[in-house]
Amino acid sequence: MSTERLRKYGFVAGFLVVPLTLYLVFVISPYIQAFQLALTSWNGYQRNPTYVGLANFGKLFDDEVFWQAIRNHAVILLVLPLLTIAFALFFAFLLNLGGGSRGAGMRGVWGSTFYKVVFFAPQVLAVAVVGVLWKAIFRPDESGVVNGALIKMGLDPVGWLTEPSLALWSLLAVMIWQAVGFYVVLFSAGMAAIPRDYFEAAALDGAGRFRLFFSITLPLLRDTIQVGWVYLGIAAFDCFALIQVLSVDAGGPDGATTVLPVEIYKTAFSYNKVGYASAMGVALFFLTITFAVLTLRVSRREKIEL
Amino acid sequence: MRNKPKPSVFSGLSHLALVIWALLIILPLLWTFLAAFKNNTEIFGDALQLPAEVRWENWARAWDKAHVGTYMINTVVVVFFGTAGTMLFGSMAAYVLARYTFPGQRLIYLLFVAGMAFPVFLAIGPLFFVVKQFGLLDSHVGLVIVYIAYSLPFTVFFLAAFFRTLPEAVAEAAKIDGASHTRTFFQVMLPMAKPGIISITIFNVLGQWNQYLLPLALVPGDKEKWVITQGIADISTIAGYEADWPALFAALNLAIIPVLVVYIIFQRQIQSGLGAGALK
Amino acid sequence: MTNPGEITRRQMLRRIGLTALVAGPGAGLLSACATGGGAEPAASASASASISSLVSAANPLGVDAKKPLEVVIFSGGLGDAYATGVHQPLYTKAHAGVQIKHVGTQNIGTQLRPRFLSGDVPDVVNNSGPEALDLAALAAEGHLADLTPLWDAPSVDDPGKKVRDTITPAALENAKLNGQDLVLNYIVSHRALWYDSKFFADKGWTLPATWEEFKALGETAKKEGIALFAFPGQKGPYYQLWNMLYTAAKIGGNQVIIDIDNLVDNAWKSEAVKASVTAWLEVQTAFGDKSYLGLDHTQTQIKHLQHKVLFYPCGSWLENEMVKDKPKDFEYAIAPIPSVTAADKMPYGAIQVGVGENFIVAAKGKNPQGGLAYLRLMLSKEGAKGFTEKTKNLTVVNGAAEGLDLTPGLVSAAKAQDAAGQNIITDARFEGWYKELFDYAWQQQNTLMAGRMTVEEYLDKVQKKADDIKADSSIAKQTRNA
Repeated sequence: MSTERLRKYGFVAGFLVVPLTLYLVFVISPYIQAFQLALTSWNGYQRNPTYVGLANFGKLFDDEVFWQAIRNHAVILLVLPLLTIAFALFFAFLLNLGGGSRGAGMRGVWGSTFYKVVFFAPQVLAVAVVGVLWKAIFRPDESGVVNGALIKMGLDPVGWLTEPSLALWSLLAVMIWQAVGFYVVLFSAGMAAIPRDYFEAAALDGAGRFRLFFSITLPLLRDTIQVGWVYLGIAAFDCFALIQVLSVDAGGPDGATTVLPVEIYKTAFSYNKVGYASAMGVALFFLTITFAVLTLRVSRREKIEL
Repeated sequence: MRNKPKPSVFSGLSHLALVIWALLIILPLLWTFLAAFKNNTEIFGDALQLPAEVRWENWARAWDKAHVGTYMINTVVVVFFGTAGTMLFGSMAAYVLARYTFPGQRLIYLLFVAGMAFPVFLAIGPLFFVVKQFGLLDSHVGLVIVYIAYSLPFTVFFLAAFFRTLPEAVAEAAKIDGASHTRTFFQVMLPMAKPGIISITIFNVLGQWNQYLLPLALVPGDKEKWVITQGIADISTIAGYEADWPALFAALNLAIIPVLVVYIIFQRQIQSGLGAGALK
Repeated sequence: MTNPGEITRRQMLRRIGLTALVAGPGAGLLSACATGGGAEPAASASASASISSLVSAANPLGVDAKKPLEVVIFSGGLGDAYATGVHQPLYTKAHAGVQIKHVGTQNIGTQLRPRFLSGDVPDVVNNSGPEALDLAALAAEGHLADLTPLWDAPSVDDPGKKVRDTITPAALENAKLNGQDLVLNYIVSHRALWYDSKFFADKGWTLPATWEEFKALGETAKKEGIALFAFPGQKGPYYQLWNMLYTAAKIGGNQVIIDIDNLVDNAWKSEAVKASVTAWLEVQTAFGDKSYLGLDHTQTQIKHLQHKVLFYPCGSWLENEMVKDKPKDFEYAIAPIPSVTAADKMPYGAIQVGVGENFIVAAKGKNPQGGLAYLRLMLSKEGAKGFTEKTKNLTVVNGAAEGLDLTPGLVSAAKAQDAAGQNIITDARFEGWYKELFDYAWQQQNTLMAGRMTVEEYLDKVQKKADDIKADSSIAKQTRNA
C-alpha cells in the first residue's frame, strides 16, 4: 500500500514539476516583485529604487485618468459580453433553426456553413492587424470607408474616433465585430447538440419560434453562455492591443477610451514611472480577481470547484 | 416530412440579417485588399473608388522592406512550440490536479486558476529581468517559455474541469490491468479528453498568435526575431513617417491572406473542435 | 534682460554657410575662423575617456578598431540613409577592419529602454521621435558619456582647431544636462508656417503679416474650399504646441518660453500665452476642419501637398519627409507667424531657429571611445555635407553647406532667417526635460482645438500639471537662463 502511495506521489510530483516550476519562475515571481515595485518611486533607470510606502496608491486615488479608465472598464465589461452574446445567440439561432417554417423540420437556413466560416474569420486576424485595418475604415474624411459613404449621401462626416462621446462605442463595435463569430460557432454547436425531439414535441404543442428559443434553447445553452461570459469578461480587462493601435493618442480623445493597461504602458514606458505604473497594475489585479470570483460564485457550475 | 417548410417572412428577414453581418466582415477585408493596389493619392481621395491600375510594386515594397515573411515564419514557429508545450504541460498539471488528492493540491490548483486574473501588465517589468537573468531576451526560446507559462492558468482551469467529468471506471479498469499512472494518462485519459484538448488548443493558438505585449517587451531589439503583431504595428508606424500607405496596406494583406487561407482549409476541424470542447 | 548672443547669431548664420545665399557683408567669409561667441568653458579632463596607448594624431580619441560599434538611429522624417550611407562608411574608412552594427527604428523607447536596463547598450543613439528616451533620467544614472573629450578633440578638417570651435555655439549651449555636456544636437532647423510659394504666386496672394490679414486670407481660401490652417490630432499635435509657444514668444518675448521651461509659477497663464492660444483657437474655429483631428502629421502633410490646407506649422525637415509625395510644381517655403497684436514684442518676421536631433554616446556601452569618434566624424565637413545632401537638413557644423545645391525650402528658410536677424524665437526645452508636461499640454490642446474646452480651462489644466511636476521630487529639475 505504501509503495502504491509512493508511486502515486512520485507520479504527481513528476507531472507537476515542469509546469509548476515554469509557472512559479515566470509568472508568480514577477508578480511578487511587481507588488514590491508598487511601493517604490522607481523610474526604470535607477539602480536602487526608493521606497515610498503607499504613496503611489494615494496618488492613484486622486488621479482622474485612473477613474476614467475604471469607468471605461466598467462600460466594456457590461457592453462587450452582453452585445456579443446577444448577437451571437441571434445568429446561431437563425443559422440552426431559422430555416424551415413550423413543423417538424427545424432546420438552419441555407448556406449556414458559409456564414459560420465568414463570421469566424475576424477571430483569426491578430488584434494589431484589426486595429490598423479599422483605423483606415474609420478615417475622419472622405478617405475613410464609413465617412466616404456618408459624404456620398450628402451627410457630414463623423469623427468616429475623435469624438469623445463616440470613440469608445466605435472601439466596442470593433471588439464585437471580432468576437461574435467565435460565439456563433460555440452556440451553434450547443444548439446542434439539443435533441431534435424537444423541438418537435414543443412544435406539436403549437409553440412558436420565439417560445422555442426562450423556453428550450436558452435554458439548455446556459452553461455554454456562462463560459462565454467568463471569456469575454477576461477579454474586457485586456483590450490593450486594440486601444493602443486604434484609438487616438492611445486611449484618447481626452482619455475617453483609455483602460488601465494602456495607462500602465504609458506611465511606465513614456514617463518612466515604473513604481506608479505597478501600483496601477496592482489595482487592475484586484479588479480582475474580484470580477473572476464574483462570476464564478454567481454562475457556480458543479464542474468548477473553487 | 409531412408538410414542406414554406419560405416565410421570418426566413427572409433572418437571411437579411445574416447577409448584412457577412457583408460587414467581407467588405472591410475586400476594401483593404483593394487599397493595397492604390497609390497615396487614391488612398487619401475618395475611399469608395477603385484603384486606377493594379500596382503590384506596393506588394514588392512591403515584402522587401517590411520583412512580413520573416515575421510570419517567426510567429508560426513560436506559436507552434508555445501551444505544443502549453498543451503537454497544461494537460499533465490539469490531470493530476483534477484526479488525484495529495497535500497542497488545492493550493496549487488555486494558484494556477488565480493566474487567469493576473494582468500581464503588472508583471511585465519584473518579467523582463527574470527572462534577462536566464539570458533569454531577444530569443524565441525565451518567448516560447513565457508563452507556455502565461497560457497555463486558463489551460489548467479548463482541462481540469474536463478531466473531472471523465468516468472513473475507465481509469479503474486500466489500473486493474496493471497500467502505470503515466501510461493510464497517455493511453487512456488523454484520448478520452480529446474534444477538450482540441478546443483549448484552438484557444491557445489564437491567443498566442495575438500576443502583442509579451514580444514587444521580450524581443525588443532584434527585428529579425519579431512576430507578426509587432511587425504590423511597426509597419503602421513606419507608414506614418514615410508616408507609404500603399505598402502598409500590402503588408496588412500579407499578414491577413495566409492566415485566412489556413483558416479556411481547417475551418471544419476548428468549428467541430470548438463545439465539442465547449459542450462538456 | 539683454538679448544674448547677438554676435553669435550673425556668426551662426555665417558659419552654417547660409550667408552664401543672402547678399550681405561677409558673404565670402564662409568658413572664416571667427572667435567663439561666448566665454570658452575650461576643458575638463574627463574620466570617461581613458587616454590609452591607441591615441594618435589620426586617432585622437583612442578608438580600438577591434571593438565593434553599434549605432541606433531614429528613422523618422530624416530616414537613416545618412548613417548607413555617409557616417558609417567614414568610420570604417578611418578605422580599418572595424565592424558596425546599424539599427534603424521608429520606436527608440520600446527598443532601447530595456537594453539600458539590462546593460546591453548600443554605443551611439539618435534619440528622437515620439518615443524618445528620457535623457535626464539616463543622465542621472550615468548612462550618457561626457562629450568634453569630443569638444576638445582636434577637428577632422583642421587639426589646429578643436571640434568645439567648428560648430555653432547653440549646439554647445544645448548639450548641457544636469550641468554636463552630454547631448549632441546635430541639426539646425527652422520652424514656422510652411506653404507653397508657387501656389501663392499663381493665385496672386501675398503673405499675411498681421492677424487681420491672416484671417482675411482665410476667408478668401475658404471660398475655394481650402482650409487656412490644419490641426492634426494624431502624432503631430506637438508641432501645434510649438506653434502656440512661438506665437506666445512673439507676443511677449522669449522670456515667456524661458519661464515655462523653468516652471515659473503661473508661467502658462501669462497674457502672452493666453493671447496666442486664443488667436489660434479662433483660427481653428473659423477656418479649421475638425476631420483633421483624426489624421496624423504625414496624412495632414499629404493634404497640404494637395492644396487642401494653406499653412502648416512644422520644421524644415518637412520637405525631406514628403519628398516622395511632393508634386513637381509644389514649392515649400517658410512664412513667419503673423503678428497677433500691434504691440507684439517681436516684429513680424521673427522665426524659430533651433538645434535639434539628439545624439548621445552610451557611457556604459562596450565602445564609448568609438562612439565619440563616430560623433567627431559626423561633425567633419564631409560628414555634415553628406548629411545635408541626404536629408536636405542643415547641420550645426560651420560652413558645411557651402557649395551644396539647396532645396527651395532650405533657401526660403535661410532667407527667412536672414530677414529675422536678431529676432530668433528660442526653443522650448521642457519638451526634453519634462516629457509628461509636454505630452499633457498637446493632448489637452486636442481637446481645446476640438472645441470642448475654453482657453482658460486649458491654461488652468496645463498650469496645474506644471505645478505637479514642480512639486514632484522624483523628477530631476533643469534650469536655463537664455
